[in-house]
Amino acid sequence: MKVFVILSLFCVAAIADDYCYQDVVGACSKTANKHYSAVLNCSAKYGAIEKVQPALQQYINHHFVRSFEYLLMSTHFANYQKNRAGFEKLFRELSDNKWHEGIEMIKYLDSRGGEMDFNRIAEDVAKEEEKERSFELYELAAVARALDTEKKMALEANSIHSEATRKNINFHDPEISDYIEKEVVHKEKDLIRKLAGYATDLTNLLNKQDSSLSLFLFDEYLQNNKLF
Amino acid sequence: MKSFLLTVFFVGVISLGSAQLQCANQELNIPKDWIDMKEVCINKMRDQVTEELRASMQYMAMGAYFSKDTVNLKGFSDMFFKSASEEREHAIKLISYLLMRGELTSKVSDLIKRNLIPKTTTWVNGVSALKDALKLEASVTKKIREVIKVCEDGSSFNHYHLVDYLTGDFLEEQYHGQRDIAGKISTLEKMHKDHGALGEWLFDKKLISGEV
Repeated sequence: MKVFVILSLFCVAAIADDYCYQDVVGACSKTANKHYSAVLNCSAKYGAIEKVQPALQQYINHHFVRSFEYLLMSTHFANYQKNRAGFEKLFRELSDNKWHEGIEMIKYLDSRGGEMDFNRIAEDVAKEEEKERSFELYELAAVARALDTEKKMALEANSIHSEATRKNINFHDPEISDYIEKEVVHKEKDLIRKLAGYATDLTNLLNKQDSSLSLFLFDEYLQNNKLF
Repeated sequence: MKSFLLTVFFVGVISLGSAQLQCANQELNIPKDWIDMKEVCINKMRDQVTEELRASMQYMAMGAYFSKDTVNLKGFSDMFFKSASEEREHAIKLISYLLMRGELTSKVSDLIKRNLIPKTTTWVNGVSALKDALKLEASVTKKIREVIKVCEDGSSFNHYHLVDYLTGDFLEEQYHGQRDIAGKISTLEKMHKDHGALGEWLFDKKLISGEV
């Protein structure tokens, strides 16, 4: 019995190995219909992409959601009353980065034989819409919001990574986990550290009777890229 | 000396106890005479931001579709992803204009809503996507013209400067862009008629190298 199971497993594996080739042979044989229109099993899919795809699609959509939110925050700092060009720039950069990372991640998903689904979004992110949320925040609150958002993004990347590193034949996919490591987690670490540092500085600077000069200087340094 | 130290200590404790950060600045009193954009025009501009972003996400879906392994038309994909970012830039330019005119001091949070999910996500071939792109551009152009109309309501007000900007900058780009896409459709469709897959494949490679 055992031998049979193992043998049949081998058979399945053997068939799975040359799907594409078999289809091609079938399609090219003389008996085949001249106008072969069926789709061949020649996709780029292998490894864990099928399992990880929904999480990646979701992650990509979250990039766009956050990109637009950062754009609104940036817009708020650019009005004539706030007039904080440095904070405008900080949040515009966050928005731009999320946007372009989203595009690159779509390309990545496609490169693994996947496809994008723009409707997929995490339940908790979807729920955010139910409550009234303001993106017109003062400086420290905006940095705080961004820090929380980025930690969430980082943890989401960790969760995708854990899917792809499970030591299970259907899940283990070093290519995906390496992509997440190279393209996402280190960037997130740097960003989180930067925002946490800003939160520290602003908290210290605002602990005074009048914070307007502190904010003016901080903003100016942000604007001129003189903060790390 | 002791009592002095004690006083210092107490003052310290009090200031620690009332450690409230001063996060927001005071209310300002800036003259409003220079802020003269009319509500109807502002709202039209705000809607146009959404239109541009919607177009952007539609292009995003095109980019995503054409980079799939089973479609594999990188030239089309790159072109559409680039268009997606360009449409987003347009939205940002409109926002910047409103900010320059003293607008967007409030109600910023609902300027962009989560209603931008692309409607179409698959296409029969490159030609059909290009045709969709042309229709999309035409509809954006029409919307910009509507903004212009509303913002130059000759009788009561006329936002000359904005209208000039939309005409000289936005419409200029729209018309050039439309002509470009129409030309591409024409070239591709001619080849596509008799050379189907080969025509499309060749056109795609030419797109990558910028030769069509």
